[in-house]
Amino acid sequence: MIATTGTIGELSERFGAGSLPAQSTKDGVPTVWAGAERFREVLTWLKSREGGSYSMLLDITAIDERSRAHREDQPPADFSVVYYLVSMERNQDVRVKVPLLGSYPSLRTITDLWPNADWYERETWDMFGITFEGHPHLRRILTPPWWEGHPLRKEHPARATEMGPYHMSSDDAQRMLATLEFKPEDWGMKRENGDHQYMFLNIGPQHPATHGIVRFTVQLDGEEIVDLVPDIGFHHRGAEKMGERQTWHTYIPYTDRIDYLGGLLNNFPYVLAVEKLAGIEVPERAQVIRVMMAELFRVISHLVYYGTFSADLGQMSPLFWMFNDRERAFDIVEAVTGGRMHPAWFRIGGVAMDLPAGWDRMMRDFITYMRRRIRDYDVTVMKNRIVKARTKGIGLVSKEEAVAWGATGPFLRASGVDWDLRKKRPYGGYEKFEFDVPVGTHGDSYDRVAMHVEEIRQSLRIMEQCLNNMPAGHYKSDHPLATPPRKERTMHDIETLINHFLGVSWGPVVPAGEAIAVAEGSKGNHSYYLVSDGGTMSYRTRIRTPSFAHIQMVPMLCRGLTIPDLVAILGSIDYVLADIDR
Amino acid sequence: MGLVVLRRKRPIGLPHGLERPSSSANDVYLSRRNDLIAWGRKYSMWPFNFGLSCCYVEMATSITSKFDISRFGSEIIRGSPREADVMVVAGTVFAKMAPLVLHMYEQMMEPRWVICMGSCASSGGMYDIYSVVQGVDSFLPVDVYVQGCPPSPDAFMRGLVLLGEAVATEKRPLSWVVGPQGVIRTVKPSLRDTMRPERQKQTDLRSPDEV
Repeated sequence: MIATTGTIGELSERFGAGSLPAQSTKDGVPTVWAGAERFREVLTWLKSREGGSYSMLLDITAIDERSRAHREDQPPADFSVVYYLVSMERNQDVRVKVPLLGSYPSLRTITDLWPNADWYERETWDMFGITFEGHPHLRRILTPPWWEGHPLRKEHPARATEMGPYHMSSDDAQRMLATLEFKPEDWGMKRENGDHQYMFLNIGPQHPATHGIVRFTVQLDGEEIVDLVPDIGFHHRGAEKMGERQTWHTYIPYTDRIDYLGGLLNNFPYVLAVEKLAGIEVPERAQVIRVMMAELFRVISHLVYYGTFSADLGQMSPLFWMFNDRERAFDIVEAVTGGRMHPAWFRIGGVAMDLPAGWDRMMRDFITYMRRRIRDYDVTVMKNRIVKARTKGIGLVSKEEAVAWGATGPFLRASGVDWDLRKKRPYGGYEKFEFDVPVGTHGDSYDRVAMHVEEIRQSLRIMEQCLNNMPAGHYKSDHPLATPPRKERTMHDIETLINHFLGVSWGPVVPAGEAIAVAEGSKGNHSYYLVSDGGTMSYRTRIRTPSFAHIQMVPMLCRGLTIPDLVAILGSIDYVLADIDR
Repeated sequence: MGLVVLRRKRPIGLPHGLERPSSSANDVYLSRRNDLIAWGRKYSMWPFNFGLSCCYVEMATSITSKFDISRFGSEIIRGSPREADVMVVAGTVFAKMAPLVLHMYEQMMEPRWVICMGSCASSGGMYDIYSVVQGVDSFLPVDVYVQGCPPSPDAFMRGLVLLGEAVATEKRPLSWVVGPQGVIRTVKPSLRDTMRPERQKQTDLRSPDEV
């Protein structure tokens, strides 16, 4: 459905009727096509629009359109670049698509409009071979420097086993490592300043303070950090390409491993997006079960964050205590889903199975226990003088900067922006629950941690409401595309049996279309932008992750500070490597 | 090999091949030096603080108090490969990371062992995708494979115990100038085969409908 009023109406009024063709999408996000010669004009206007500007660039990505069958209301294109903007004032999104022709097309950069476009454009170049003219450092970001080809192009092999056996001798390894050598000149950095030289310190990719395989090269003037260059891509697991060969149903386990501390929180936006495409309504009981388990995983993820943060500052005991609390939560996860970290338990149209008898007692015990523990941790961590000294006023991000760099989740709220999708755009049944959204004032490392601590309390509150008001009913929709389909009627009529057989063997056939679902993960906004070409697999799966945006901000956060501050800042940014590189 | 006389009041575990001469007092034990060293190695396997992805979180969980890896002498996690005995390849071996994994393995001192933790490190697992090396054993010698995605901390510790058992019976030269050179390793058993009879006995499976 295409709305002719609102943003699309304003755009056609401003740029002339018919000059920006609109496209219908299943998610209802206003989508317009703008030619390569005027898309910058459109984006600039949207960014500076009076009375509710689209100030946040949430995502840039591309679609290889060359083998797509269903493009009925879209202009001809070999590739299309997709810009996704968010207006917080209007609480609305807009999608601007640019059609490109040719096998290696190019386009003007928008790094001058939004600073966070830098990494998104690099990624799009790396994955599709689309050049962004005027980009300051258009080089590989997710694939290694010795890579050939652009993986998300349709002609690039997907499987490693298609690419021949892997051989690497010691000499090969050294040759590859030589290409990873950091050259300050590549990043426009000087090696010396007048009478003295800068020191370049390499941290990572294997370092206890980096929380995973990411590399930071720090330019130091004595003790002071002058600049920093993050090097990512060590954890690139090809999750987006994977979506193009897994069925809609069998892709669910891959989503668990995106933010691997968040488990079911990752399933949420993915199944929501598929349900939008397929038009599935989820029964109330399934909604409440989903919300409860998602909030449990938010607590689990925040506990790891809280513990590792305090360990980064030199505390020992909180990490052990919080990991033990996490084990208690995992006892519930194991009883309900059978898994621990990656249960892959949400299903298209509901959840995998009903709650087991006795779940409520476990959940109630955990909530009571956790509330007491969180009070204890306030004393040991948040009120600790050393913790305060090392985090208050460190790693400052202003409201404007946070929005301009696409920060989301607790990171954004710590800077004083009241933006929680569970409140602002309730999805999956969140509108039924009472909870508060903590908002910070300073935007420093301490506030970022405080947001997480308060969120644990609020999640417990939501879980308690789920516990006390669990509705009766079915845990899965009876829509024919819900996968695996419900079993009751399967053996009674042939139509249902065939549908069941196809749903389980081939997987559901989701109608052609495009939809995005954005959800509030533990670290920020996760979004799954799915393009269906009317098949059993997605044509394009785009995963927008919060950690990618947040790690891009690290240089800005730590300029002028020292290495111990960098460690405290990294500890206060809730990030996970698979959530950066996917 | 020379004989070593151990004197201790309460031995915590007897080294392989350790004998208690019937004529001697209770607190005197005799052992071959090789066996004694292998026994010592078994109880002081220091892992390298090295993780690749999700599996590392479960490996780190095994250090915490509920699982307590120090029961097996492995709580001393070393940040430098030079000080570590065992490298746990915990997670997916990514194309960009593979040369670094090899480089760090080469920095470790002999004797060194490798535990391959999880499906990705063992075979690529569910990630048969362009950027993932299909099994770390394509460029590293692996001693123990631990299955799971990710393996639970218990599964990881079981792998560690298996490795300890293998290390305790390994024969290594005492130095590069003394005795025959080369390492004699024990044959790695396939647990799938050895555990099968016991697993087949299990007939009553707990229902998932009860906690």
